Amino acid sequence: MNVTKTYIPKKYHQAVVKWQETYLPDFGFLLDNWDKYFPRDTKFELCAFRELGMCSEIECGDQKGRPKFEQAAEMEQQQGGHLLGALKAQASTEFGSIQQHQLTLARAQEEEEQFWILRMMAEELRHGYQMLHLLLEDDWKSVTDQSGPEMVEEILSMQTGSHILGAFNIDFDSFIDNVVFCALIDRVGKYQLSMQRISAYKPMAESMPQMLREEAFHLAAGVVPLRRWMEKAAQDSVYITTEDIQKAINKWLPRGLEMFGDERGGGTNVRYGLKPMKNAEAQEQYYEEVGKVVRDLNMRFIRARLPELSLSDAETLLEKLLEEGGQSQGISWEELVHMPHREFFRRRGVPAFRMVGWAGERFDDVEAYLQHLTAHLPDGYRAGRDFKDYAQMIRRVDSGELTGDDAARTMPSLRRVGGVCPCSRAVRWVAEEPDGNGSGSRGEAVR
Amino acid sequence: MNESETVVQIRQLEDTDIGGVTALDEKIGGEYRPEVWERRIGYYLRRDPEALVVAEVDGKVAGFMLGEVRSGEFGLEEPTGWIEVMGVDPAMRGQAIGRRLADRMLSHFQKQGASSVRTLVDETMTEIASFFDSLGFEPAPLRSFVKNL
Repeated sequence: MNVTKTYIPKKYHQAVVKWQETYLPDFGFLLDNWDKYFPRDTKFELCAFRELGMCSEIECGDQKGRPKFEQAAEMEQQQGGHLLGALKAQASTEFGSIQQHQLTLARAQEEEEQFWILRMMAEELRHGYQMLHLLLEDDWKSVTDQSGPEMVEEILSMQTGSHILGAFNIDFDSFIDNVVFCALIDRVGKYQLSMQRISAYKPMAESMPQMLREEAFHLAAGVVPLRRWMEKAAQDSVYITTEDIQKAINKWLPRGLEMFGDERGGGTNVRYGLKPMKNAEAQEQYYEEVGKVVRDLNMRFIRARLPELSLSDAETLLEKLLEEGGQSQGISWEELVHMPHREFFRRRGVPAFRMVGWAGERFDDVEAYLQHLTAHLPDGYRAGRDFKDYAQMIRRVDSGELTGDDAARTMPSLRRVGGVCPCSRAVRWVAEEPDGNGSGSRGEAVR
Repeated sequence: MNESETVVQIRQLEDTDIGGVTALDEKIGGEYRPEVWERRIGYYLRRDPEALVVAEVDGKVAGFMLGEVRSGEFGLEEPTGWIEVMGVDPAMRGQAIGRRLADRMLSHFQKQGASSVRTLVDETMTEIASFFDSLGFEPAPLRSFVKNL
């Protein structure tokens, strides 16, 4: 394995450090205490990694078998445009998730879980840095009028509410969100990174392996605490109930499904060699994988509640509860966690604003549907702006004022003061170097 | 389905395999230890996830192998692959699952720059020792020492 380590030009590197000081103030605390929770692990470093020696031919689509593109200028304009869109969206998600996690990081009950999330946030910062590296290493003039510095400024200026993808525009309400977000939304990230690993744009493909390695731990930072919480819930802990976990799943899973894009789309990315799967196919695999997580959580609950049961007896009990509902051996169907229907609470894609209930039931009355949603979503979320915006939008769709597609295009609205335009904000992240230094990137081979 | 039709998929271990590995460990050792595997797999996933391998049969974990490349320990300065934990479903033994797990892990170790791979085997576990013999492992001059406290 041959990996190179690179730093973006100094003024941009300093911009990211400044951004980190604002949105990830515990970064220093993480590094100071690294050895306590991650002994023997390589210490974190803010840099970009590129893996060399990967496949050099385009792996899917119309140009399959041709050499991969080293520069955006070699690509067709539309192809480059698609790539740039994906790259900026990826960058936005990396920085956006840190802003979300920071809101509730301090509320963790267990220090270890908090440190896992903190490490994950630092690695997301590195992933964002990796995307800025791609934006700054190449010349994107053939694709956009925006300069590299302008794109960096735009991305660093985004806040919760102005990010590109919906899942990153929703505030966290409690530490349950930090954990469920890792288990569900980072899982979408894993799919996107895995698909981009074969990108026809070589620098993108080379950026993915190290990001994927780090992402594997991010998923564990979600799943392991969830498993532990299910165990505690089974033992009647008063802190986190399965209902709390279920409501958080209901909040995030619809947004995760939407991150794959419209179910009818994705063919262009495949044709351009940027991803190997269309949206619906990837989304389907994701939904099944989350189903596996949910089943696993339920097994953890049953084994903790009834430790005298053997593995096979616990599996039989779970099947019985899932098929028949009700109660058996002191465990009720309601105490377990379940997968919401894939069309539940959707606002993008084919099922957007269709009023499909949690179990797949259909609603004709918008107010009854909103009541249904309020019963299935976390209290803190229902009291927030995102849910209010959704409720207003679905009422307009129901009244015929808007079509579902129009409403889907409107969500989420930009509500933060300042929006995304860097010029409208007092803070500029990229500061010009007075001596003219800091415009060249620095790199070295690491292994 | 008879044995010859069994499809064994060898792939990278993921967070979703924690339950499966826990179940297999229970099947082998008779003890349910979820917290052990949550911690252990969490540890390995943050270090080198590509080194972790599972064998999957009909959607269930039928074998696993955990390890990593390290250097600077026991006087071994060069990067060395370590196979540290493994398990194969007793009902699936004799189907080369362990060998296939090892092939994948050793191939990854090589890519990581390791020129040798090591493991420690309890002398009483002759079956495990035979398994490593069959893979070409040889007794090493590095001896293990222990002192009870």
